[in-house]
Amino acid sequence: MPDLERAEALPRPFPRFRQPPWDRWWILFGVVVALVILMALTRPDPYARIIRYMGDGVEVTVGVTAVSYVLILIVGLIAGLGRISKHWAIRGIASVYVEVVRGIPLLVQLLFIYYASPVVLQSFGRYLMANVPSFGALGQSLSTITINPFVGAVFGLTFCYGAYVGEIYRAGIESIPKGQMEAARSLGMSYFQSMRYVILPQAIRVILPPLGNEFTALLKDSSLVSVVAVADMTRRGREFMSTNFIPLETWTMVALLYLVLTVFSARIVSYIERKTAHARQ
Amino acid sequence: MPASEFSPIIEIRDACKTFGETEALQNVSLNVHRGEVVVIIGPSGSGKSTLLRCINHLETPDAGTIIVDGIPLTQSRNINKVREEVGMVFQQFNLFPHLTVLENICLAQRIIKKRSRKESQAIARDLLAKVGISDKEKSYPTQLSGGQQQRVAIARALAMQPKIMLFDEPTSALDPEMITEVLDVMLALAKEGMTMVVVSHEMGFVRAAATRIVFMDMGKVVEETTPEELFTNPKEERTRQFLSKILH
Repeated sequence: MPDLERAEALPRPFPRFRQPPWDRWWILFGVVVALVILMALTRPDPYARIIRYMGDGVEVTVGVTAVSYVLILIVGLIAGLGRISKHWAIRGIASVYVEVVRGIPLLVQLLFIYYASPVVLQSFGRYLMANVPSFGALGQSLSTITINPFVGAVFGLTFCYGAYVGEIYRAGIESIPKGQMEAARSLGMSYFQSMRYVILPQAIRVILPPLGNEFTALLKDSSLVSVVAVADMTRRGREFMSTNFIPLETWTMVALLYLVLTVFSARIVSYIERKTAHARQ
Repeated sequence: MPASEFSPIIEIRDACKTFGETEALQNVSLNVHRGEVVVIIGPSGSGKSTLLRCINHLETPDAGTIIVDGIPLTQSRNINKVREEVGMVFQQFNLFPHLTVLENICLAQRIIKKRSRKESQAIARDLLAKVGISDKEKSYPTQLSGGQQQRVAIARALAMQPKIMLFDEPTSALDPEMITEVLDVMLALAKEGMTMVVVSHEMGFVRAAATRIVFMDMGKVVEETTPEELFTNPKEERTRQFLSKILH
């Protein structure tokens, strides 16, 4: 059978590359962690003191990043699907969202949400109280609204990154040949069933690497939330500085702690990528 | 209109479709009855694939009506209902590369027909035996030859127990030596009485299985005839020209 020979010669669908048993970049992580520990041990004052002071800031940074990232994955998927929708109105809304968000700096978006949007909501509340009696109670609560810093920060990061991640999803989905959707639809699957079972499982291999990079970028950009009263690592660093006046030691330690987090997350991302690259066989 | 034994299973009336400047279909009408094997031939760009794709609404006609098994394809909510009854086989196979052969055939059964894993696998294995590749159920599509992939694609469509099968140039992307294995499966299907609409220039298949030939050119049906008529005495000059080019 000539067929069989041909089939053997064809490439395997998901080729396995020879990988070292472990990721060598973990060495860098080890070096950075060792450096931090060494500094804290040899000069407890100020380094150990800075680390203790920064402790809850690390929690806040990781918390803001993790919560935002989960929401970003959802918002991004909706934005990405919106961008390729057949319906012109949905496509229009998604496109305007992406273009507007990409045109405004994240810092300005955060400042707007925290400082400017309450003003808008408050005056809307007063308008309701004065003119729409049936919504008076809602107006009452809106007129005194303030934005919780954590919620505002998560909202701002999600709003901004959702647009970028949406473009990643869109590119991944568009990289799958059109015939896949046609084949799924012609078997009777709905658009969303086809996406869920046929398109996205294939697209995820394309989407995952840039999606992982976005996590590291988000971790770093989360330092911007320090300007909207969120006590993250950067803000805690500034507070420590303003009482102790040792900028070199403070910012060195802040930078190293960020590096510990980003290098660690980059390793986790690459681990997940390797897992999914192998999982299919 | 009620679907009776005698009314056509596919009824296309005055279908029109334009892509930008090109008129892919101009007032095309075609009826297909149960058990018929209709082969559409014609030069490239004549609208034959477009017509086929209109039948299960992969393309939406700009005007005209298409009724499949008594269900008009005008309301969008009918589309999935019709697609369940119409199997489609593509030139490029379009198997799902992230799934094994068996999973390819089971996926839509599980989602649409709500069959259990066991039941869908039993049906899939039966069909794989029928198309002659039982030994490949655990392979991934890219590990198969083109002919094998196309046979899996046919099995995948048959698993939904369609009343009609559409074939869009099913052998055009195949090496010559693999064409026969796919045509044999199609011939067997035709012998079982499956209603088929086939876009193909495989004259061997036309001779052996076609009940009717539709010759299209420039978005119009030029001639509808039987295979015997086509080969011995085509009525239209345009048909004769075309045939002289493909029958050498």
